[in-house]
Amino acid sequence: MLKIQDINAGYGFLQVLWDVVFEISEGEFVALLGPNGAGKSTTLRTIVGLIKPMKGEITFKDTQITPLTTHEIVNMGLSYVSESLNLFVNMSVYENLLLGAYTIKDVKIVDETIDFVFNLFPQLAERKKQLAGTLSGGERKMLAIARGMMSKPDLIMVDEPSLGLAPNLVENVFEALERLHEGGITILLVEQNVTLTLEITDRAYVIEQGKIVLSGKSSNLKKNDHVKSVYLGI
Amino acid sequence: MKITELAGRKRKMTGITNILQRVGFSPSGFILLVVLAVLPFIPPFSSEFILRWLIFGAFLAAQAVAFDLTAGYINVVNFGFAAILGLGAYTSAILANTSPYLIVQTGLTPWIGMFIGAIVAGFVGFILGFLTLRLRGLYAAIMAWFVGIAILGLARNLIKLTRGSLGLSPPSLLETSSNRPYFYIILTMMVAIYIICKIVTRSHYGLAFRALGQNIDAARASGINPTKYRVFNFTLSCFCAGLLGGFYAHYFVSLTPQAVMHTSKTVEVLAIAFIGGRGFLWGGILTAFPFVFFIEYLRSALPGLPGLHLVIYGVLMVLVMIYYPKGLAGFVVWAREKIKIYKEEKNGGF
Amino acid sequence: MAERINSNDKTKTRKPAKKRVFGKLKTRTSAWVVIAVTIGLAIVIGKVGGVAQVVNAVVSGGMWALLAVGLALILGVMNIPNFSHGESFMVGAYVAYFVFSPLYKYNLVSGSKFLFIVGPFIGFIAAALAGFILGIIIERLIFSPLRKRTRERWVMNAFLLTVGISFILTNGTNLVIGPNFRGIPRYWDVAPFSFLGVRLTVDRIVAFTIAVVSIAVLWFFLRRTKTGRAIRAVSQDESGADMVGINIQFIHTLTFGLGTSMASVAGACLLFMFQAYPTVGLKPLYFAWYVVMLVGLGNVSGAIVGGFIVAFLQAGTQQFIGVAWEEVVPTIVMMLVLIVAPSGIFGSEVKGIQEQ
Repeated sequence: MLKIQDINAGYGFLQVLWDVVFEISEGEFVALLGPNGAGKSTTLRTIVGLIKPMKGEITFKDTQITPLTTHEIVNMGLSYVSESLNLFVNMSVYENLLLGAYTIKDVKIVDETIDFVFNLFPQLAERKKQLAGTLSGGERKMLAIARGMMSKPDLIMVDEPSLGLAPNLVENVFEALERLHEGGITILLVEQNVTLTLEITDRAYVIEQGKIVLSGKSSNLKKNDHVKSVYLGI
Repeated sequence: MKITELAGRKRKMTGITNILQRVGFSPSGFILLVVLAVLPFIPPFSSEFILRWLIFGAFLAAQAVAFDLTAGYINVVNFGFAAILGLGAYTSAILANTSPYLIVQTGLTPWIGMFIGAIVAGFVGFILGFLTLRLRGLYAAIMAWFVGIAILGLARNLIKLTRGSLGLSPPSLLETSSNRPYFYIILTMMVAIYIICKIVTRSHYGLAFRALGQNIDAARASGINPTKYRVFNFTLSCFCAGLLGGFYAHYFVSLTPQAVMHTSKTVEVLAIAFIGGRGFLWGGILTAFPFVFFIEYLRSALPGLPGLHLVIYGVLMVLVMIYYPKGLAGFVVWAREKIKIYKEEKNGGF
Repeated sequence: MAERINSNDKTKTRKPAKKRVFGKLKTRTSAWVVIAVTIGLAIVIGKVGGVAQVVNAVVSGGMWALLAVGLALILGVMNIPNFSHGESFMVGAYVAYFVFSPLYKYNLVSGSKFLFIVGPFIGFIAAALAGFILGIIIERLIFSPLRKRTRERWVMNAFLLTVGISFILTNGTNLVIGPNFRGIPRYWDVAPFSFLGVRLTVDRIVAFTIAVVSIAVLWFFLRRTKTGRAIRAVSQDESGADMVGINIQFIHTLTFGLGTSMASVAGACLLFMFQAYPTVGLKPLYFAWYVVMLVGLGNVSGAIVGGFIVAFLQAGTQQFIGVAWEEVVPTIVMMLVLIVAPSGIFGSEVKGIQEQ
């Protein structure tokens, strides 16, 4: 479904990604792991068009999306939940969700999706009228994911949902992701919490210093020596 | 061999160039200035008609230098610039007044009045510097604009002092109908203002200005006192403006609030300074003269289109700001670098 | 670049969360105090200067509010401090003049009752459309290229660009149409109403009504429609808006068009007061900026209240201090506001403005 070929990208003169290659098929739950500053978030930003790659091609659903702008890519059914969430803090939870469905014209579908999302995150339903800026950290993450879901994407990319959350909340968020996956949505998850991530994902890529260094089934990676020593600390 | 030759030439040049360099002139810049100084004796330029253009060019150029000191260095656009210039003009004109209809009738000679006007303008600049001290970019610009409009309003409304919108007719500076002496006065003013501003910006003050212009918090953190430098900058810039205002009053011998202090006058100077390039000081000088000639030519060639030159100002300014923010001075610097590299390659083949 | 700035914003704003709530409370109380003082001022003006003064202040307050709302909208959504707002007013005035006066002349001959009532409205609508188109052209021609080139020092560069635009428009009008004043005595040749002992012309009533209705429609549009919500989204978090699939370029163009269009409507409605001439926009621009600086940059709801506050302050100045000080008092008031509450009495809603 998503195919990344030899991407080089970065900020200005600073190149962060070096010939990154990977692929995600429909229905998969894939993780992108790596230490701080390895280029995980840069990869996602490049995919969604916030950064233009210096070299390489990105294909989504058999279309080249490299020259497209972010909103066009989002319109194609790719959704991105950023690390900093980018919520509309002075709007209510409900309005944030409505904006998430900006690309959908049919009001009926929007209502259905909102019901679906509230089902997934019951806390959000309770806080429907509250301003997004007044939510707690965990609720904000949920709202961001929920907003990402509102456009009925085929692929959702989630950037570090566990960042800055208490352990029990992290589990909540991961459970929600698992449920989404069970519902048939393709997910690309960027994480630093390697233990949990490898438990719920199908496959994973490890990126270090801007290059993909390892890839494989999550269950196999768990046993890999490099992963064990560097990320799991065993 | 080549390197020693180059070094030798450099040593030979040091004498005069060094002094020039210190007051902010490159050799080519100095030659241009000399050419400008002898222009009034060369036929097409020696006519009174074209001398007026030259005077106006020098007047605009000097304004652009003073304006660039705040806009180009500490990055605060002084939107009340024209009003402060007008304040200097009005102060001098009022002090020179002898007509019994106004309450002040000191009849002071313009030569002193001009400097008093400059001091008053500098004082207002001092206050303005304090007022806008804590304000950043946009706030400071708007605040200065409001102060300028307040000054304009006072000039229009304090009829006993200024005759309101009717304006004043101050005495002329010299008892001559020739324009040539005036040209040398304004040229001297322009050069003096340029040298003073250049010396200031060359010193550690200039460094502090630039630091404040880039990031006020970082500058403060590295021990630069924003109050001192910003207020000094505003005071100096406004002092220069006031002095130029004095010249305006006693050269054009007519002064109305609308003609001197209107916001559009600030914009004219701003356009010249920005097309010339921010943060170089001489960019405005380089732009002002060709501009005035071009514009006056347009005006005489197409008398049916008043204000066409102002439209061209605006369009050029917008284009420069979008596509070449460095302006003319930036282009000259870039070209000079290119030539230097080319020469070095030709000479030494490094 | 833009994303990096944004992520910085996030970390900056999240840290002092408690302080911000407190700060908000404080600004809210100060806002109530200011409103109360304004009402008090209105009562005093009414007692001393008569009800007519108050009614006049309310009418001009509506207009300042309409102008300031457009300015605040552009500032809040696009971070453009628009110095050419007055020129939109000027364009509105000219369009209304050139549309309305032939209709008026035709009417003198034909005496059509329908055109007599509807004629001015045709002028207003034409002005609104012209302003909208002008805004779209300016945005596409100037801000869109600049945005693509660089976002560095955006606020200041955008501001200076609008200064250039204002200069071009004023002098261009002077060049094409000439410096003559073009005005009309009134839109509707009807005897003035008497209201609370105040004689009110129909023109004033209509102008005020249009201001109120325009603001209300804009309010509804921003709160209740999908596109309006998208506009607010862009003003709050541009990257976020991009991520949910909003076409930011489109929103920017639309917002600029709306903002200029509102100023044009104001210019058209006030033609009977201001007349049309190239530099007519300076005073409205001045007042719009006065309002916006007073209430806080980019604060749209604040700007509505601010319009009336400013109108009463002006009325008070004329009543108690003298017309001569009309330009001095705003400067002093603004100085005080900027010293006491640097981000305005209702708080600023612009993210990028604090940069140099």
